[in-house]
Amino acid sequence: MAEIEYSSTPDEALVKGAQRGDMGSFEELVARHRDKIYARAYTMMRNEDEAVDLSQEAWVKGWQRLAQFQGESSFTTWMTRIVINLCLDQLRKKKRQRAESIEEMDEESGGVERQMPIVTVNPTERLERAELRARIDKALGQLSEAHRTVLVLHEFEHMEYKTIAKTMNCSIGTVMSRLFYARRRMASLLQDLKKPD
Amino acid sequence: MKEEIQLKLQAYLDGELPAGEVKTVVDLLAGDAEARELLAELTNTRNAITAHAGEITVPATREFYWSGIRREIERQEKTAPAPAQSASLFGMLRRLLVPASGVAAVLLAVVLAGRQFAASEGGTFREEVETTFEDSGAFTYRDYSSGTTLVWVDYPAENDFAEMDLEDILEFN
Repeated sequence: MAEIEYSSTPDEALVKGAQRGDMGSFEELVARHRDKIYARAYTMMRNEDEAVDLSQEAWVKGWQRLAQFQGESSFTTWMTRIVINLCLDQLRKKKRQRAESIEEMDEESGGVERQMPIVTVNPTERLERAELRARIDKALGQLSEAHRTVLVLHEFEHMEYKTIAKTMNCSIGTVMSRLFYARRRMASLLQDLKKPD
Repeated sequence: MKEEIQLKLQAYLDGELPAGEVKTVVDLLAGDAEARELLAELTNTRNAITAHAGEITVPATREFYWSGIRREIERQEKTAPAPAQSASLFGMLRRLLVPASGVAAVLLAVVLAGRQFAASEGGTFREEVETTFEDSGAFTYRDYSSGTTLVWVDYPAENDFAEMDLEDILEFN
């Protein structure tokens, strides 16, 4: 039997191979898409160890559920949904374990974002790529989990409002409000980060 | 600016504004500088965040990351028959009850046959019968004159579970 050249095999064929139980095909899929799956876990959890654990758990679940993958979406989209659901479960567990912070309650009910001054200058203009990344990363880390999650699902996963609402089990109005707050807070944080320059 | 207007501006940016409301927002933007500034801020932020995607990489080598996944897959596949283990109490009871019910059925048959035979002999049949069952260690003694049947069951029974304490049996499950 000819040796399979995994690195030059397209995703669809690797998925089919993995569905037949070929671990080599699955390993190649992991190698190709591990950064994207990990990145999604990291942006939601803000913790490297947790993100590694959850992304690996997502791959294990992916292997176990391969028979359910029918190719309606791309394999990476399917895997991303798995890791997002795992992260949301983890965040819900954490939320149950601790009381909501006062800040988070204010964000939900106070409409603080409407009183923020508009940031008229693009705070990320002329920044080096690495610096931009570091600043956005830091600003994302300062958002509450609920606001960060909405932002991640919308900006990174390009989910529509109604899909985010379904995923997060909340209303479309809440999604719009959280997204608005998250963007305005990000603008404010990025501007603050720029001030020391 | 009202919250409703702010959220409509955002929905306009995201392409989620109902077609019937687009003109209203476009007109607003044409005549309201604050609305234009807010839209510009939202756009800049969105663009900056979107550019950030794809910059994060796994802080581990391919081999190390994959080995963790493979180990977990193998571990879970090894423990996959877990549901069967949870049903082992039922299995154990079945293993115990099936032979016992077989013994009971044979005993019942012997008793009924004995009665029938005694009845056919006009109640004069006085023979004592001993029946042994090798597997269970049980045997019977029947006195037709008094209409009494005694069944002896060796205890502990001669099987694996009989040698076990209750704690061992529970732990076994």
